[in-house]
Amino acid sequence: MTTVEKLKTILVEELHLEELTPGDIDENAPLFGEGLGLDSLDAVELVVIIQKHFGVEIKDLDEGKTAFQSVQALASYIEGRLKNG
Amino acid sequence: MSVAPIAITGMGCICAAGGNQADSMNALLRGERRLGPPVRFASNHPIRYPVFEVADFEEPPDLLRTSAFALHAAREAVADTGLDRRTLGTLRVGVCVGTTVGTVMSEETFCRGYLAGDVPDMAPVRRILRSNPADVIAREFGLSGPRQTVVTACSSGTDALGIAGSWIRAGLYDAAIAGGADELGRITYIGFISLMITDDSSCKPFDRHRRGLNLGEGAAMLVLASEAVTRRTGMRARSFLLGYGSAGDAYHLTAPRPDGAGLRSAISEALATSGVSPASVAFVNAHGTGTPDNDRVESRVLRDMLPGIPFLSTKGYTGHTLGAAGAIEAVVTAACLEMGKIPANAGFETPDPEIANTPVREVTTVSGSVALSESLAFGGNNSVVVLGKA
Amino acid sequence: MSGTGRIVIEGVGAVGGFGCGVSDLSRALNGSARSPGTFALSTGSGPIEFPAFRADVSRLEEFLPVRTLRRIDRFSRLALLGSHLALADAGLPDAERPRLGIIVASGYGATGITYAFLKSFITDGDICASPTYFANSVHNSAAAHISIQLGARGPNLTVSDFHLSVPSALATARIWLEEERVQRVLFGAVDELSELIGYIRYRTRGASPASPMTPLRTEMETSIPAEGAAFLLLARENASRGGYCTLETSVTGSLPFPGFPLPQPGLLVLGADGCRESGRRYAAEAQHARVACYTPLYGSMPAGPAFDVAAAALLLKGGTVFPSPGGSFLDFPATVPAGGDPIGTDRIACITLDADGAYGWTTLGKLPGTTGR
Repeated sequence: MTTVEKLKTILVEELHLEELTPGDIDENAPLFGEGLGLDSLDAVELVVIIQKHFGVEIKDLDEGKTAFQSVQALASYIEGRLKNG
Repeated sequence: MSVAPIAITGMGCICAAGGNQADSMNALLRGERRLGPPVRFASNHPIRYPVFEVADFEEPPDLLRTSAFALHAAREAVADTGLDRRTLGTLRVGVCVGTTVGTVMSEETFCRGYLAGDVPDMAPVRRILRSNPADVIAREFGLSGPRQTVVTACSSGTDALGIAGSWIRAGLYDAAIAGGADELGRITYIGFISLMITDDSSCKPFDRHRRGLNLGEGAAMLVLASEAVTRRTGMRARSFLLGYGSAGDAYHLTAPRPDGAGLRSAISEALATSGVSPASVAFVNAHGTGTPDNDRVESRVLRDMLPGIPFLSTKGYTGHTLGAAGAIEAVVTAACLEMGKIPANAGFETPDPEIANTPVREVTTVSGSVALSESLAFGGNNSVVVLGKA
Repeated sequence: MSGTGRIVIEGVGAVGGFGCGVSDLSRALNGSARSPGTFALSTGSGPIEFPAFRADVSRLEEFLPVRTLRRIDRFSRLALLGSHLALADAGLPDAERPRLGIIVASGYGATGITYAFLKSFITDGDICASPTYFANSVHNSAAAHISIQLGARGPNLTVSDFHLSVPSALATARIWLEEERVQRVLFGAVDELSELIGYIRYRTRGASPASPMTPLRTEMETSIPAEGAAFLLLARENASRGGYCTLETSVTGSLPFPGFPLPQPGLLVLGADGCRESGRRYAAEAQHARVACYTPLYGSMPAGPAFDVAAAALLLKGGTVFPSPGGSFLDFPATVPAGGDPIGTDRIACITLDADGAYGWTTLGKLPGTTGR
């Protein structure tokens, strides 16, 4: 499974997006505001989700801002962090 | 629409700044900030966030630390009234306490044991069930009047005072012991860190570089009484509870409403019920946790509704004591009115261009006779009390 | 209190082991009780299973879209359902919602999500604690969710005094209305039978018996644990369009207290819920009175007294007494009217007592124009 696919599955499960399947999520659509419509509480939950499932720590939300643009952006960020340690 | 003032005839307080009301107030005026990484518990979180723990206080084994704090503060407050317990026993006295930890079935040792498939010892659960802080205070003083435990998160302490005042005005009791109490434990610590609203250094309320709050613990209790009862028993009023207002944001579970509408309503109601005009307010004890959102929203509301009125956060000296905060800050506000001075807003150095007003930076003389203390809570509750000099 | 100052119960909403809504509650009160469901757990000492009154929150989807509920836990769902049912029962126009005051009483709070929060860091380490679970575990989360979904921007209060939570919170609700802080208060009580509470119940009282509750047989332990939410829409009479009954007083304290024993009303609805230690107090205090007890229909929980008030409201509106379930009452030292008997009074008191001598009583009165003798 690619990071993008893994992320989509995790998002649906951990954020309880019950009316969606992973396939419904557009990896280039915004996560916050429009698109998936997540909010500030989801943002901090996402930080924990990424720590738990990928072992990548996001120390503050400014760091997360670019990463959280879309599923694709998040996947690239995670892969980059895992490669660089 | 203004309501009858309620006399505050006794005050007690315990927090990181001091083990009683006078010591705490003096520490604030000296600018002392007693924070550090937690000593009473450990966490495997990689960052050690500083907190404001109460030093040199051991709770008895059969009581939650929260309730032990509540009792400690209540004893000081009742002693402060000068009333002996026999006279107290002749009054209808109610108890109204705000807390977040004090009634929650949240016990890590017990849950770890259960989760691991053990048969955990029930003592921690029994301790919680026996430690409702309002009950504990009522039992201590042999009080048989109504009691209420307010659990409105960070506004609990302020709400408890407002509610107790309204119970006295409604004639449901002659006097009340009212306030708030909360201990700092691992579960609270871990929870706030997970929300990413804690600062890993000392908090900076209203400052440009603020990054979040520091947690604290403690309790404060106030003895409230009608003016008639105050006269009849020979108690003296240290201060007056002139009014109270509260309103919900109806917006989000953790973030404040950006336009501060709930706080605006609460301030309006508090001023209307006290018959006080904004211009006559000597100062405002703000909620001022040091989180980016709270301080931005709160300062804008203060700028609009109480322009030019000095304001400060005292959380730089006590930390955010959650259910105790509103009560501790009411005690500080009343003491400031008595002394005619307010401490500096600890942690403030650099103005934030997004915030049009700045808190007081040094100990400041105040000559007015009225002040506000406000609290903003998770869930969007905003509560304000108006206190008057005796 | 003058006519214009009276407080009226305009709407009732309840969900619990008896079903969902006023019609189900009415059916249960009139004799069509439902049997309890089951609470099951695997524990360190083996699997356990015992009768319990479970609530079904699926009807919440009639009021709120699924997407809105995604982060909302069971405790808050119970509260949301109870509150929406009460508003629908009262027929409150949506335009009135922003001005509502909200008061929620709960004995144990959101224990399900609290336990889930503890599990999140016990299992995966402190750094993996779930902020969403933490935010929802705060005691006032249900009241917050209600205010957010309704857009209610009035005062908002949550109270937790274990078994006295309901009369304690109702006293404050009355004061808000007397002071005219608000014209209406949406008041409710909610308790959740989570895994943690069920386990604690099992450890403190053992498994509940397989037989129906008989709370007026006070020498026995017959309580069956329960969950549910009961909500009332309260209004100042001059702002109200009528309803079930008036809410006259709500008082709490501890024995002995001036004014106790019991107030004047000609019928007492007892909150005796099969727990032996408080059962004895009910027997002692209700001697020679005329009493009813409906807890076997919804079970034993700190929120129970709110269901007693709901039952009393329906009783006052309908005009005749509902039968008290639970078999023979020959050994209870009070008169228990039969189903269909006239109420015979304009005033009912709901009484809650705990083992330590704390009491709460809530007095309701007949609304002019309601039927009944």
